[in-house]
Amino acid sequence: MNLDFTEAERAFQQDVRQWMAANIPPEVTERTARGEMLDKALQQRWEKKLGSKGWLAVTWPDAYGGPGWNATQRYIFDLERASAGAPAASPFGVSMVGPVLYSFGSEAQKSHYLPSILDGSTLWCQGYSEPNAGSDLASLKTKAVRDGDHYLVNGQKIWTTQAHWADMIFCLVRTDSEVKAQRGISFLLIDMKTPGIEIRPIRSIDGHHHLNEVFFNDVKVPVENLVGEEGMGWTIAKFLLTHERTTIAGVADTKRELERLKKTLKSTPSGMNASRWDDADCQRRVAELEIELTALEYTNFRTVAATDEGRPFGPESSGLKIKGTELQQKVSQAFVELGGPLSLTWDNDDEIGSTAFNRATRRYNFLRACTIYGGTNEIQKNVIAKMLLDL
Amino acid sequence: MDFKFTSEQSQLEDSARRFLKDQYSFDTYLQQLDADDQIDNARWQQMAELGWFGLPFAESTGGYDGSLVDTCLVTKEIGAALSIDPYIDRVLMPGKLLEYVDTDASKTLLSALIEGDTSIALGLYEESAHYDVSAPVSTLKNGRLNGKKHFVSHINDDKHDNKNKVIALVTHNGEHALVLVSLAQPGVATQSYRMLNGTRASSITFSDTEVTDKAILARGQAAHDAVEKVLDYSRVTECAYMYGAAKAVYEKTLEYARMRRQFGTSIGSFQVIQHYLVDMFIDLQQLESMLWMMAVKGESTDAITRKKAVSCGKNYFAKTAVLIAQQAIQIHGGIGVTEELDIGHHFRQITHLSLSNGDANFHLQRYIQCDQQEASND
Repeated sequence: MNLDFTEAERAFQQDVRQWMAANIPPEVTERTARGEMLDKALQQRWEKKLGSKGWLAVTWPDAYGGPGWNATQRYIFDLERASAGAPAASPFGVSMVGPVLYSFGSEAQKSHYLPSILDGSTLWCQGYSEPNAGSDLASLKTKAVRDGDHYLVNGQKIWTTQAHWADMIFCLVRTDSEVKAQRGISFLLIDMKTPGIEIRPIRSIDGHHHLNEVFFNDVKVPVENLVGEEGMGWTIAKFLLTHERTTIAGVADTKRELERLKKTLKSTPSGMNASRWDDADCQRRVAELEIELTALEYTNFRTVAATDEGRPFGPESSGLKIKGTELQQKVSQAFVELGGPLSLTWDNDDEIGSTAFNRATRRYNFLRACTIYGGTNEIQKNVIAKMLLDL
Repeated sequence: MDFKFTSEQSQLEDSARRFLKDQYSFDTYLQQLDADDQIDNARWQQMAELGWFGLPFAESTGGYDGSLVDTCLVTKEIGAALSIDPYIDRVLMPGKLLEYVDTDASKTLLSALIEGDTSIALGLYEESAHYDVSAPVSTLKNGRLNGKKHFVSHINDDKHDNKNKVIALVTHNGEHALVLVSLAQPGVATQSYRMLNGTRASSITFSDTEVTDKAILARGQAAHDAVEKVLDYSRVTECAYMYGAAKAVYEKTLEYARMRRQFGTSIGSFQVIQHYLVDMFIDLQQLESMLWMMAVKGESTDAITRKKAVSCGKNYFAKTAVLIAQQAIQIHGGIGVTEELDIGHHFRQITHLSLSNGDANFHLQRYIQCDQQEASND
């Protein structure tokens, strides 16, 4: 048992740290320090920067243009990326459709789509959920009917993050209503500029526009945009659920957020005290969160180590999403609550006490979604009960 | 970074598991609870023969140079088996204290302990100390010791012979001293009682008990540091015990949920029970991660790193292992609150350890202090 990084890994960490310090646009780190998210232009500028270094699609094998890192290196990269104050790349291209394409796609699809994901020039979104297919995803109804050399797509997707930014959408669509629900689902790539696609924005409780409804009215999609074969959609969706577990817990960002909270508490004057940090309750709250984070961090380490030893994901990785999202919420909630009245402003551009506190409810409100997206924590528990506990 | 065990470690774990399975059971435990002398000589001897007594001590003193990870592999199995054989209190703690004191006299004593020729308990806690043992009222003055120590593990009122000894932390000339006292000495009175976890302990009163210079094992900072270190060592092994116990109750509860039928079906088919069990399962994974973190960093030569890691882990264990034990009782229903099933006894063990050698709150405060020290050193 050895819980330290090797010398080579520490050297790698230094390299990544230096690159981050020199290459993250200052506007990005400033926004992160204030607790704000990036707009489309800035996010894409940052992703293209990563792409130019070959560090955007970090999970990809080198045969497809990835850096060929092992899980430990990916974990270290994520740590350094977060602590330097930059957001992760938007997952839909690099973490979702990319791996689907190099695992299930045709040669033509690979050569057509992968390069523009690698360099960050094409933005993707994910068309899974529908108004009546949330946790019960297999009941989705959006239809794709084969008509000569194209499919005719009709239906509606919802909760489509960044649909208004995206050039492309990958969709689960129903191509067969006669068979068992899961068997009739296919995986289709659709150009967002195709006639018949309409986007309606949905504003979230953080006040921002991330989510959308996407409507499809007789949208013509060439048959070569089908990934794999008809009926393989469910298999592909399940593949994605187990694709990458080394950063699913969000340890790196939660670590950064806790450090940011600590720093904010130490620099915010408060009544009789020199700073909020002099309040013993603040220190206790932060310490308890750090301890929870340590448990999660070492559970994550076990998953990383297992991956690098070539072992399949063990039981330790099953709870990473549940514990990770719960902790993201707890930290963001502490940020809001420890800011007290300073957390109550919404859009005041003048700092009152601390901009980080003034903006804290944005992240807190945003993160209410993290225990819902990607399969609610309750669904995760159902799956664990069935698959691991055999209940 | 790897979490792998060596083949020797896997063998150690297996042999501990097998030994306990063969030599210990719920019935054994119930008999042990009622016994006046809870140390079963035959089984205690077998533990010595398995090499457990010398496991974490230097070869030069007759030990096997084992790590804290090694002793955790053993204590984890002891916890899983519900055993109250005092391996931690009567082997690891006195032995490690003697090792940390590191004098010729302490090494001789340690060799005797490993050989089973002597039996030593630690007297650290006093009535008003709460968890802070660093200001003992018990005082050694002019060669005479006066004071009272509580919760001294496995001392029986009828074992006042020369083989049974106590090492007490006392105040001497305004600083700490660790003194060795034989229970057979005049001026040593014991009062034995049962603890929450079913083990026997004593309060020991020293009344003008003679302590020669030779019986002072360590003084001042050396005594203080040795006690701090031995407490941390035992905390980690106690967390391993709690992990073993929590894992056992989780497995028993999962089995029970599969088997127990209500409303014409197994209660494990109900979603709310499934989610409780998944919560326990995930918490158990987190506890295991925390345990190995503590076991590795608990032997760090940097005192702040060691203390912070141990307090981090103990705080988490004191909350999370307790939660698992509570849920186990809830899922068992009525039978879970009785003394007739092992679940309730595991619950007592876990509760006991969550409150001994520092509870969640004590360790949170200690974690914060370490964090402050780290920040000021940066």
